[in-house]
Amino acid sequence: MRALPVVAVTMVLVLVLFGAIAGASSPIGLVKVTEGMATVQRGNETLPASLGLALQEGDVLRTGVDGRMGVVLRDDTRLSLGPESEIRIDRFLFAPAKGHLALVVKMARGVMAFVSGNIAKLSHDAVRVETPVAIVGVRGTQFLVKVETQ
Amino acid sequence: MLLASCATPGPPPVPKQSMFLVIPDSEGKVGQITVTNRTGTQVLDQPRQASTVQSADDAPSPPSTLEETEIKRIFGEALAAQPASPARFILYFKDDSEELTPDSEVLLREVFRTMRDRGALDISVIGHTDTIGTREYNYQLSLRRARRVADLLAKQGVDRNILDIESHGEDNLLIKTGDQVREPRNRRVEITVW
Repeated sequence: MRALPVVAVTMVLVLVLFGAIAGASSPIGLVKVTEGMATVQRGNETLPASLGLALQEGDVLRTGVDGRMGVVLRDDTRLSLGPESEIRIDRFLFAPAKGHLALVVKMARGVMAFVSGNIAKLSHDAVRVETPVAIVGVRGTQFLVKVETQ
Repeated sequence: MLLASCATPGPPPVPKQSMFLVIPDSEGKVGQITVTNRTGTQVLDQPRQASTVQSADDAPSPPSTLEETEIKRIFGEALAAQPASPARFILYFKDDSEELTPDSEVLLREVFRTMRDRGALDISVIGHTDTIGTREYNYQLSLRRARRVADLLAKQGVDRNILDIESHGEDNLLIKTGDQVREPRNRRVEITVW
């Protein structure tokens, strides 16, 4: 019985530690190329897409008339945008040991070049690009999308 | 609709449409994508094969092949912004030590070169061990290995702020073994240069 509190405290500590690791919105990738007007919107905040900026799940990437942006995600997926483009990295899960794999990119407009990474390599149905007119299922590797709506 | 088309004389405007297209990757391989909406689906798996979609209510067009010049015209800017993929290296260590093997000393110079050539923005350094010793001991050992490599990188002028140090101990074996197994290929630090 005397050991119980120790066990409990240890368990709480372990949980807190794991929580801290999982809860710290760990970066899912970073900005590697940026030119002209290029921003990252995170919640209500709009950040300039500066070189090396760490990306988080849910970030919205936008380029202006003279803008371009290239990003690398943690699983080696590479996304790049031409001018007047907008995508949201809706979901990014890369924990191969646990079998947690997912990448969903929502593309609202513009042009994008996409090179799939390890998520697509490890799981055939885990990577998807959603546009207003159709959904792309990604087996790999390099493809291009232009979204132009009526 | 009829009235509208009567009211606009001259050549009809190019209809707005979305486009999906596969191209070979840097190794020349062509992958596969599917383009699907509620009215249809198309599979693209040949070089420069494209499907266009007018709206969510129109089925994706059957695949057609796009000319290189067209691809460049439409997607040139997006392709120009494509980043290089991260470079990865594995450095190996002597048994129960944070000292690099001679081969890895040599490889380290290539790591330095890559960092400089790419203008590294972020470098991840992850230490590992084999399964000799306790889990806790190995966690500390692989931490020392990762810190040692980080020190060597910092000595070459790498800003410590872009160094990400992790220790996985014996929990992330490159070569799967049982417990208490000496395995030189598991005694390593993995470096990713972004």
